[in-house]
Amino acid sequence: MSQKGLEGGSYKPLSQESIDKIHQASLRVFEEVGFQVNSESALSFFVQAGAWVDSETHVVRMPPQMVMDFLSRAPSEVKLCGQDEEHDILLGGARVFTGTGGTALNIIDVETDLTRRATLDDLKQIARLVDGLENIHVFMLPTYPSDISAEDVDVNRFFAALDNTTKHVMGGVYTLNGIRQAIRMAEIICGSPQELRRRPLISMITCSISPLKIDRIYGDMLVQIAKAGLPIVCPAEPLSGATAPVTLAGTLLIQNVDSLAGVLLTQVVNSGTPVIYASVASNTDLRDLKYVTGSIEMGLLNAAGAQMAQFYRLPFYATAGMSDSKVVDAQCGYESALTSLLCALAGANFIHDAAGMMEFALSVSYEKFVIDNEILGMVMRAVEGIKVDEDTLAFDVIKEVGPGGHFVSSDHTRKYMRSEHYYPSLSDRLDREEWEAQGGKDACRRATERVSQLLSEHQFGLPSSVRKRILSEIPGIID
Amino acid sequence: MTNEENIQLLKENIIQGRRDENDEGLEEGMLGQPGAKELTEAAIQAGITPGTIILEGLTAGMNVVGEKYEAKEYFIPDMLASAEATGLAMEILEPHLAKAGVSSKGKVVVATVKGDLHDIGKNIVSLLLKGAGYEVIDLGNDIPPERIVEVVRQENPDFLGLSALLTTTMKMMGETINSLREAGLRDRVKVLVGGAAVSQDFADEIGADGYGTDGFHAVRLVEELRE
Repeated sequence: MSQKGLEGGSYKPLSQESIDKIHQASLRVFEEVGFQVNSESALSFFVQAGAWVDSETHVVRMPPQMVMDFLSRAPSEVKLCGQDEEHDILLGGARVFTGTGGTALNIIDVETDLTRRATLDDLKQIARLVDGLENIHVFMLPTYPSDISAEDVDVNRFFAALDNTTKHVMGGVYTLNGIRQAIRMAEIICGSPQELRRRPLISMITCSISPLKIDRIYGDMLVQIAKAGLPIVCPAEPLSGATAPVTLAGTLLIQNVDSLAGVLLTQVVNSGTPVIYASVASNTDLRDLKYVTGSIEMGLLNAAGAQMAQFYRLPFYATAGMSDSKVVDAQCGYESALTSLLCALAGANFIHDAAGMMEFALSVSYEKFVIDNEILGMVMRAVEGIKVDEDTLAFDVIKEVGPGGHFVSSDHTRKYMRSEHYYPSLSDRLDREEWEAQGGKDACRRATERVSQLLSEHQFGLPSSVRKRILSEIPGIID
Repeated sequence: MTNEENIQLLKENIIQGRRDENDEGLEEGMLGQPGAKELTEAAIQAGITPGTIILEGLTAGMNVVGEKYEAKEYFIPDMLASAEATGLAMEILEPHLAKAGVSSKGKVVVATVKGDLHDIGKNIVSLLLKGAGYEVIDLGNDIPPERIVEVVRQENPDFLGLSALLTTTMKMMGETINSLREAGLRDRVKVLVGGAAVSQDFADEIGADGYGTDGFHAVRLVEELRE
């Protein structure tokens, strides 16, 4: 059973007072420090909006009222649709959904266990695999295909996904033309440009450069996507100790300003356009200045980010569930589980990178998608919490069974046993003898088997007429 | 309701594990509909033979339940509910069985041995055996060998099922078998053992006739040894 969109928010690393301090400090940064915008078109929108723009340094500053005014134009909920309506999700409030993340260059080969460059074929296979994993709700393009020329990467990535999964497809983008073509592709699938706006099957991610900067290319892309009116994410990636202060509070301040700057840009370009407040905040290991993805601080920062987004009533894109391990081992499990759990309990709306990612986000592993799917099932059960009412308290049943009895054959047990407990599909709960008789396999080997089973059983393809039209109208797609 | 419909409904209610009309069952909207009890009574009223009721209603239903359990669709409480519904139907059928000249499948005495108070597993085995059509005498827990010997002598059962959870009380199973031997009753009854710490090796060591890993295995074992 797949649980999605459950209400989180029981875990609150920030007090109300701390949230307010971060908010007030953020307004001071917007007013006194500002952020640099190196995209001409983005900058012109800020000029039009009446922000203070320094034409030499390209630094944009705003008074608090203006910041709040533009933020209030952003919708508090964003709908992401799948080709199958069953996969539609509504981000907002403290509802929790999960997804894959990107973008990794390498993949651990399922047959050799060796790391190699990921190919377009890998992307198609992962899309198919994730389509069959019930606790992963959104398919974010996880890998960069090394066998495709740079100008054709966007169309091929989106096509590979849309042709292999009915879940919503979110992805990072690389070229302005690629964005246009990917949108065109989704319009063909939806039937019309209007229908795509009504049911956005795809969404796109750019990024700001922490600290306090929107880059030229990403700025241009952000403007283009915002004009197109498709859901957009502009994550900030402050790294505690390197591109943000070493203190988590200081990192949160940078993260908040940078995330809000992206939101502000979308709203000055196209008021009301669907945008998701986004955090990829993490820290650097200052022993060697390495970016890390499996740190517990990353969990704390992104859980706190959920609270900030809830404070602004904006949907939230969090980053969690990764590991820095090079192989699918115990570290892979505990790092992924801890950060995912913290963010989910905090009510992060969309936890991206929650499946498959390892080695500083450089690699993905087929097995890890399956293992993370299990982790996320458990995490969602934790988010669901404990329902206490007359029937779940079971006083009457306890009275009937009495001292020394048992509940195995109570009707009450049958009524609730499937919904009260999470039943793992990958975890081993066999007796030792039985486990040995079945080959004595560890979680990774069982995951390998699940991968091949899902890939052989699970099939989805675009309707052939739609496929034909896309291939004839959109250049550069390798079929 | 035709006779075919009656038997078919009985089978479905066994699969659903519904004892009587007050049972909710697994699917929505079953409350108030006749359950195993009402359908068995109706079948007797309609003159359907007890043999047909058991074979095509109860046993056929329990076979499906077994398949669903094997396929991991059904959990242990589902099996128990079905076994309970079947047991209830068997109770209703009992007086009619004798009349029709159909004998019970066999008599089984079960007990958790002396010193051990754990009886959930033993209770499940009892329930499943009843569901499979056996007459079950459940002595309870913490039962000393003398008492078991006495019951075996009086009741003359086909099978004796002994249960122990603890490694410290397991040896009491062996002592119980020895007591049966000393009383000259060992050859009159087949002794089956079970419990979390018990193994086939242990069962062989103490001279038991069989070892069941779980309740369903216990029923299979009894069926095999009966033949």
